[in-house]
Amino acid sequence: MSPQRDRDRDAFRAGVRRLFKLPLFTRAAARADADAELDAFLAERIDRLVLGGLTPADARAEALRRLGSPEADARLVLRRSAQRRQRHQWLRQAAADLREDLRIAVRRFAHSPAFTATALLTLAFGIGANTAIFSAVHGLLLAPLAFPNGNRIVMPMQENDRYRGDSRFERRNMAGALIEAWQQRTHTVEDIAAASEDMFSLDADGTIDTLTSAVVTVNFLPMLGVEPLVGRGFSPGDVVRHGPPNVAVISEALWRQSYAGRSDIVGRTVTLDGRPLAIIGVAPAGLNIPLSHKTPPDMWVPGALTDAVDGGTGSLDISPSVFALLRPGVSVDVASRELESIAAGVPHAAGLGGRLRVMRAQDFVNAGETRALEVLFAAVGALLLISCATVANLLLARAWTRQREFAIRGALGAGRRRLARQVLTESMSLAVAGGLLGIGVAGLTLRVIAALRPPGLDRLADVHIEPAVLLWTLVVSVLTGLSFGCAPAFFAGLHPVGDVLRREMRGGSAGVTSRRVRSTLVVLQIAASLALLVASGLLVRSFAALQRMPLGFEPRGLLYADVLIAGTREQRGTIRDEIIRHLQSLRDVTGVSIGVMPGKGWLGGGVEAEIDPEGHTADVPALGTIMMSPGYLRVARIPLLAGRLPDSTSFSSLGPAGWSSEVLVNRALARRLWPAGRAIGAHLREKPFPGRPPAPWSTVVGVTSDTRIPGESGDVAAYQVYTIDRLVSEVPFVVRTTMSGDDAAPIVKRAITAVDPHIFARPILSGDTYLRDGLAPTRFAMSLLTAFGVVALALAAIGLSGVIAYSVSQRTREIGIRLALGADPSRVVRHVVSGGLGLVALGIALGAAAALAATRALSSMLYGVGAADPPTFVAIALLVGAIALVASYVPARRALRIDPAETLRAD
Amino acid sequence: MALLKGTLDVLVLKTLSWGPMHGVEITAWLESRSDGKIDVTDAALLQALHRLEERELIAAEWAITDHGRRARYYRLTSAGRARLRAESTALIDHVKTLTAILTARSAET
Repeated sequence: MSPQRDRDRDAFRAGVRRLFKLPLFTRAAARADADAELDAFLAERIDRLVLGGLTPADARAEALRRLGSPEADARLVLRRSAQRRQRHQWLRQAAADLREDLRIAVRRFAHSPAFTATALLTLAFGIGANTAIFSAVHGLLLAPLAFPNGNRIVMPMQENDRYRGDSRFERRNMAGALIEAWQQRTHTVEDIAAASEDMFSLDADGTIDTLTSAVVTVNFLPMLGVEPLVGRGFSPGDVVRHGPPNVAVISEALWRQSYAGRSDIVGRTVTLDGRPLAIIGVAPAGLNIPLSHKTPPDMWVPGALTDAVDGGTGSLDISPSVFALLRPGVSVDVASRELESIAAGVPHAAGLGGRLRVMRAQDFVNAGETRALEVLFAAVGALLLISCATVANLLLARAWTRQREFAIRGALGAGRRRLARQVLTESMSLAVAGGLLGIGVAGLTLRVIAALRPPGLDRLADVHIEPAVLLWTLVVSVLTGLSFGCAPAFFAGLHPVGDVLRREMRGGSAGVTSRRVRSTLVVLQIAASLALLVASGLLVRSFAALQRMPLGFEPRGLLYADVLIAGTREQRGTIRDEIIRHLQSLRDVTGVSIGVMPGKGWLGGGVEAEIDPEGHTADVPALGTIMMSPGYLRVARIPLLAGRLPDSTSFSSLGPAGWSSEVLVNRALARRLWPAGRAIGAHLREKPFPGRPPAPWSTVVGVTSDTRIPGESGDVAAYQVYTIDRLVSEVPFVVRTTMSGDDAAPIVKRAITAVDPHIFARPILSGDTYLRDGLAPTRFAMSLLTAFGVVALALAAIGLSGVIAYSVSQRTREIGIRLALGADPSRVVRHVVSGGLGLVALGIALGAAAALAATRALSSMLYGVGAADPPTFVAIALLVGAIALVASYVPARRALRIDPAETLRAD
Repeated sequence: MALLKGTLDVLVLKTLSWGPMHGVEITAWLESRSDGKIDVTDAALLQALHRLEERELIAAEWAITDHGRRARYYRLTSAGRARLRAESTALIDHVKTLTAILTARSAET
C-alpha cells in the first residue's frame, strides 16, 4: 500500500470538517466525551429514520430499540471506557514529563557541583548519623529479653538506702528461708529461681580463656522458657548438696568456639576449679539475662539455695539474683505487694535491711545505659536540626538566584504548573538521592560503632538499622528538602514577572521574606551548633577529669590473682607462703600481698557499730569487706590516713569465720559512723545472718583513703572494712610489678601454678585492663560526642558561609559602586562583614541559652566541671563567631578584587 | 445471524479500511453489505468501537458531518491496519476449512 493511498483512505469524505481533537485530560472530560458520543449517535440514527419516513417520536423509539440495551447501561459502558482511556493517556503523559524533568534536573545539578555535593552530603550525614545512632539506642535500650517468658520475669531485690539508684549493689543476699516462704505462700508467682555468677578458665589447646559461668537453681532455665539446643537441661538429681557440681550446660557460643560445634558434645568434660564437669547440654545463644556480667554466661551449673556462709563454688548463698515468673496476667505491682507482705511475715527475713523492690528483668537490663543514651538522643536531634537548616539555607539561596530564570521562562509562556512540577522533580530527586546516600551512611556508621564498641556493650554488635527510625529521619529530611526546594516556585508566585526582571536589572536588595527566612535559619543553625558543641565540650572535660580522678589505689602494674588451694589448713598455709615466696622472687615483682583488686571480689554484708561510749549502735547495710594481709595497702598503694595497720596475728576467737579483731575502715565509712572523728578505737562487727549469734566486736585501728572503681563517677565512695585474711581455701593475691599488668599476667600465673599442680588459679586480672575497661564506655561516649561536635561544626560552617557568601555576592554591585565612588576598600569590607555579624550574635545568644538548658539536664553526667562552665561557653562562642567572620570576610575580599566597572556593566 | 465471537471487531476494522466513519455510518455499511443478515445492536457496536480504541487499533476524533451535525469519527491506525490484515486472513482460512468439511459429499477424502 502506498502512503498516498493510505492518506486518501484516511481523508474525510467531502464536506466533513475536522474539529480540534479534545484531549481527555480529566475524568469529567472523559465522561462528557462519552455522553456526547452516545447523544450524537442517537441523534444521527433518529435523523436517518425520520428521513426514511418515521415520525420523530417513532424514530426515537426505534433508535432506542436498536440500541439493544437500556440507554443508561450503554451510557455507563461508554463512560467507563472513556475513563479508562483517559487514565492511560494521563499516565503516559506523566511518565514522559517525569523523564524530561529528571533529565533537566540532573543537568542542572551537574552544572553546580559544589551546591549539589554539599546538599547531598549534608542530607546523607544528617539522615545517616541519626538513623545509626537511633538504631543503636533502640537496640540497646529497647531490646527485649531474648527468651520466651521474658516479659513475665521480675527480680525481687532488697533496696538498699545507701546505694539507691545504683542497681549493682541492690542485689542483696536473699535468705533461703525467704525464698521458701515465697514459694509456699504465693499466688501471683508461678516459680522462683536464683542465679549467681562466677568465673572459670577453660583450657583449650593450651590457651586459657577467661569465661563466665552462672550457678542456677534447677528450675532456672525452664522457668525462662529456654529449651536446650542439644542434650538436656538440669534435673533435681544433678544438684550436689554441700559440694561442687559435676554437670554443666554450656552456651552455644562456647560450644561453637571451643568445641567447633561438634555433635558429640554431650558427655565431654569442661573444667571448673580444677575439677571436670560432664557437659549434659547446650543452651541457645543470646540469653541476655540480667546478671552482673553483661554478656550471657558461657556455662551453667546447677546449685541449691543454702544458708551456709562459705559454701565455696557451686552454692548460691553469695548474693544470688532472684528471678520470679509471674503468672500470666499478673501485674508487677500486685506481685510486688504480695511478695512484700509474705516477706514481712518471715522472721529475720529482712537480713540486711532495706525495702523489697520488685523490678521487671527487662528494665533492670537497661537501667545503666539510659542516661547516656538520652544524651545521645539529644545530640542527634540537634544534628538533624543543623543538617536540615543547612540544606534549607542552601536551597533557598539557590532558589533566589533562579528567580530571574523562572521569571523569564514564565514570560516566555511556560505554564506555571509545568514550572512548579519541574521544581518539585528537582527537589524530589535531590531529596531521594540524599536519602539513599543517608541509608548507606547509616549502615556504614553502624558497622563502625559496632567495631569500636566498648567491652560490656557487646549488644552493639548485633545492632541493625531500625526501619521505623530510618523512616522517621528520611521523612524529616526529605520534607525539608522538598519544602525548601520548592522555594523557587514559591518565589515565582510571589512577584510578578515584570517586577522581578526590573529588580534584577537594578540590582536591588533581596526580598524581605526570603531574607527573613534565611536569617532565621542561620540563627537556628548557629544556636544548635553552639549548644551541641558546648555539651560535647563539657562531657569531654568531664571525661578528662574522670581519668585524672584519684582512684585511691594504683591499678597500673597491679595484678589480681584468685587461687584455690586444696588440702588441710596447714597444707594450705604452707602452699600459700610458698606462692608468696615464689612471686616475690620474680624479677619484676616489687610487692606481693593477700588482697583483692579494689572493686573486685568485695564480699557484701552489713555492719553494726558502736557510735558512742554509751553503747548506742548504728547500722550500715552495705559494705565491702576486704580480706588482706598487712602489706596490702602498700602493694595496692592505698594511703593510710590515720592510725596503724592491724597486727597480722589479730584473729578473733571465733575461728575461721568472721573478721580479725583489728580492722581498718575507709574514710567514707569513718565519716558515716563517727562524724565527730572518733573512728580509731571504736568497735564494730559484721551484722549477723538471721538466726546466728552475733560476732565479737572488732576494733578499728586505722583509717584508709577511699578507693573507687575506674570509670565510676560520683562523689560518694563505697564503705569498706579491711580485715586480716582468714586462711580459707580461696586466697586472693595482689602483685605489684614494674611491667604493665598485661605483660606480667602470664608470668605470674606460671609462677603460681609451678608451686603445686593442684592449685587452681582463676584468670589473672591486670589492673591496666581493669582501668581501660572501666573507662571505656565513657571514652566511647566522649568520642561519639566529639565526632558529633565536629560534624555539627562543619555543617554549620558550610551553611553559614554559604549563606553569608551568597548575600555578600549579591552586594557585589553595591560594592562596585562604592569603590567607583572612591570609598576606602577596607571600610567597604567592614561594612559588608558587620551586616552578617548581627545574626551571628543573635545565634550565639540563643545557642547559649539552649546550651544552658541542655547541660543542666546533663549535669548528672558531668564531673569536675559545672553545667554553666564559663570557659567552655566562651571558647565555643568565640569559635563560632570566628567562623562567621571568616565566612563573611572571604567573599567580601573577593568582591573587592573585581573591577568595579565590570560589576556595573554585568547584567 | 449471530456473529461468532470476535468477528465484530474485524468487521469494524474492515469497514473503516475505506476511510473514517462515524458510528451510524459503520452500522449502515455493515447492514447494507450483508443484506441485512448481520444484525448487531448499536450498543454492541459502540462497545466494540471503544474496545478497539482502547487497544489503539483505531483512533477517534470529533468532526462535523456534511449535515452539520457533530459526530465522533473513527479511523484505522497503522496497528489497526496490520491487525486487520492478519485477522481477516486467519478468519478466511478458518471459514474455508469449515466450508470444506461441511460441504463434504462423502466420508472419504
